Amino acid sequence: MTVAATDRLTETVLAVRGLEVEIAVGHGASIRPVRGVSFEVRSGQRTGIVGESGSGKSLTAFSLMRLLPPRARIAAGDVYLRGREVSRLPESEMAGLRGGKISLIYQDPMSSLNPLQSVGYQVMEAISAHDRVGRREARDRAIELLRDVGLPQPERRVDDYPHEFSGGMRQRVVIAMAICANPDVLIADEPTTSLDVTTQARIMDMLAQIVAERQMGVILITHDLGLAASFCDDIHVMYAGRFVESGGAASVLQHPTHPYSEALLESICHLDRDVTTPIAAIGGQPPSPHELPSGCPFHPRCARAQDVCTSEAPGPVDVAGHMTECHFPIGGEGP
Amino acid sequence: MSNAPEVVSLEGPGLERRESAGWRLLRRPQAALAGLVVGLIVAATIGAPLFAPYAPTATDYDRLFGAPSWAHPFGTDELGRDILTRVLYGGQTSLTVAAAATAIAMLLGVVWGFVAAFREGWIGEILMRVADTVMALPVILLGLVLVAAFGASILNLIIILGLLFAPATARLARSTLLVELRSEYYVAAVSVGASSWRIVARELLPNALPVLLARASLVVAEAIFVEASLSFVGLGVQPPETSWGTLLNQGYSNLYSSYSYPIFPGIVILVAVLALNILGDNLQKVLDPARS
Amino acid sequence: MFKYVLRHVVSSVGLLFLSSILIFLLMRVIPGDPTITKLGGTIKEVDVETLASIRRQLGLDKSIPEQYVSWIAGIAHGDFGSSYFSQFPVTTLIEQRVGATLELAIMAMLIGILIAVPASVAGAIWPNRFLDWALSGFAAVGIAIPTFVIGIVLIIVLGVELNLLPTQGHVSFLKDPVTSVRTALLPSITLGIGVAATIMRILRASLMEIASASFVRTAKGKGLLRRQVVVRHELPNASIPAITAAGIIVAHLVGGAVIVEYVFARPGLGSLLVDSVFQRDYGVLQALVLLAAAAFIVTSLLVDVLLGFVDPRLRTETSS
Repeated sequence: MTVAATDRLTETVLAVRGLEVEIAVGHGASIRPVRGVSFEVRSGQRTGIVGESGSGKSLTAFSLMRLLPPRARIAAGDVYLRGREVSRLPESEMAGLRGGKISLIYQDPMSSLNPLQSVGYQVMEAISAHDRVGRREARDRAIELLRDVGLPQPERRVDDYPHEFSGGMRQRVVIAMAICANPDVLIADEPTTSLDVTTQARIMDMLAQIVAERQMGVILITHDLGLAASFCDDIHVMYAGRFVESGGAASVLQHPTHPYSEALLESICHLDRDVTTPIAAIGGQPPSPHELPSGCPFHPRCARAQDVCTSEAPGPVDVAGHMTECHFPIGGEGP
Repeated sequence: MSNAPEVVSLEGPGLERRESAGWRLLRRPQAALAGLVVGLIVAATIGAPLFAPYAPTATDYDRLFGAPSWAHPFGTDELGRDILTRVLYGGQTSLTVAAAATAIAMLLGVVWGFVAAFREGWIGEILMRVADTVMALPVILLGLVLVAAFGASILNLIIILGLLFAPATARLARSTLLVELRSEYYVAAVSVGASSWRIVARELLPNALPVLLARASLVVAEAIFVEASLSFVGLGVQPPETSWGTLLNQGYSNLYSSYSYPIFPGIVILVAVLALNILGDNLQKVLDPARS
Repeated sequence: MFKYVLRHVVSSVGLLFLSSILIFLLMRVIPGDPTITKLGGTIKEVDVETLASIRRQLGLDKSIPEQYVSWIAGIAHGDFGSSYFSQFPVTTLIEQRVGATLELAIMAMLIGILIAVPASVAGAIWPNRFLDWALSGFAAVGIAIPTFVIGIVLIIVLGVELNLLPTQGHVSFLKDPVTSVRTALLPSITLGIGVAATIMRILRASLMEIASASFVRTAKGKGLLRRQVVVRHELPNASIPAITAAGIIVAHLVGGAVIVEYVFARPGLGSLLVDSVFQRDYGVLQALVLLAAAAFIVTSLLVDVLLGFVDPRLRTETSS
């Protein structure tokens, strides 16, 4: 489903087919915030999933790690980690893969670290979860990792506690823990949302470097189109639990084929635009998984919607090299 | 100009009052059961003259330390008196002491807390510090000291317990009031010119009432427990008055002659305290799902 | 860390002094002339000289501040004053009885922790509706059930019927550890159940809250097993509110000791308190209340120090 940015013959480290996540909402009812997601990631490839809050992007990430909240479960689909199906693995085996073959970086560095333990201890814990090493060696490795992620003076700060670090530094520690066992896939869920722009840039640079060195496949989940544009090779636009458009990052962001992607881009403030032009916000709200519109979920907010859009959900079509789910894609012919 | 404007009621479209707390409470099976039990106990003790199978002083020398039987569901004591009857009459004392003490504690606590909330400066601070100090020491300890000072009698017990339970209520009243004082409708009412006492009476107090009632249930439970404890060691209700605690005391002295003598009053105390606790807890949860 | 401990020790000492003043004044406010009390209150007439000499004996002829100072000075030398009734100085009485109460308190605390912590942790590792229900039920009943009821039931079942354990008395731990523990077992279990219930309620609530914390998710994401996550990450953080609640627990222990020592005829400070109330023995009462206050202040101090160990955020004096 993806178009690799280059033609590297690299290995597919993650393949997702038809992933659906279901959440029980009580009284026997349930909702599906993720309704059939499929994509692949190759080693060294940087994939982005963009969308608004509520689109299901974080849930997708959690389900890949099998870290879903208690009432949620993977209802359908397969997840292949280097060819091995993992969505139905027993928990004890999955624990071995987490952090080891597939890792997750979270949104909120301020509370992602245990306040009662030193950062060194927490990194060492991540190391020893996947590798039998002595304390001495674990500690040395931890210090090196902290250095790799750009923490200044790691030997001195390895025994400091999380509250003695700034948000950016804490995020670096989290990244260190996530990459310590050289996972094949790294998922970054809004990793820089709560950081200031300069720190954000530095962290993303550091991440890019690490990922290149270790040839990891990365999934960047974000609502920030600019971030996705600068970091990702290819992008999936997510809406109401499905990918509505997928393609090369530059291509999708410059020539979107799905009305939603186009609307998203229109709603960004452009520095070179006339300041008197009102910001083109997308009218309406993203649909709640409790009440999905019939047919195409975007039709209530779509300028191009016609009758068929209200009754039939569009299947994927190929338009200008992008996968799009729309009856009347931009630049396409339409039925 | 006309008089100061009336405090505006905030009910109306868009602000429909939710189903009252009382009904929500009754939906919870635990709470409903607990409420039923409490009601039964209260009814039985108030109506002791009606419900008690025997007169409280009726003795039966043929049946000393009798085991529970149809004639005497709770057994008989060292003078052949029916224990169920004694429990019912004793309950009158225990519940009266507990209820009266709670009333005093609530009243005193509310005034205490409200004053501390309104006068937030050093007066409020001192009031709260005193409350904290009293709350830090166990009630039984302070109760014993005060009984030592002023003697043990039903009236003294009521006053002492009322005083000892007031600080916790004061804390609660103050924090509830502080929240209300910061709320928009209060600020709005003040800016419109309503006098603060009126606001307190008309709006703030009714809003604080449910929370205080929930607390009251727990206080009654504790009061029953402390009275029973003090009477149990002989420093509470004094014979010939009977309370659940004194019954326990007598039962304990006669433990080797009859197990049921101390056990039944003990069970009654346990059930009463448990039911009141459940009621209070559930009421708190119903009123503020965020807490507990 | 040192500065942190020092700060707390200093404020504790200050608090102790304040409490002693309060207690002293409180005792003086109590109605009734202690001299008359010492005479037993039965003597209707007593000549002025005898009264005066007794006053002097009790040191009541000095001014209030002077009395306070001599009281405090005495305590500093280990002299808690004299009992109004027995011929023993208060210090002796306390010495005789403190062992029984301390053993009781320590054992009750241990039993409480040994029940509450594993139960709460198990509830967190293996979420299971039945277990949950059983544990909350136990916590609710354990808190509500009056101590004397537990005590009496235990006496009947374990003491009399099954004749497993002694139901009264006290043997010093230093003299005969085994019998000492056996004698203390029933009373300790009685108190311990209440302690366990209190700890469980707080611990379970905070474990549940912590379970949704971000760093728990991070820990799981590292590949740790469920039990490792609970024990290494959730428990230490969740125990902070529980440790802070130690004050409530000590209050429960002090109040409970009074009842339990009565039920199990254990000659400890609790029963001394009850006796001194019966006799209006203010000399003993004064000392015991001061001891109780000291116990709380010391507990508070220990709690703060313990928290300082556990939570590094408290140790940072100034923000970096």
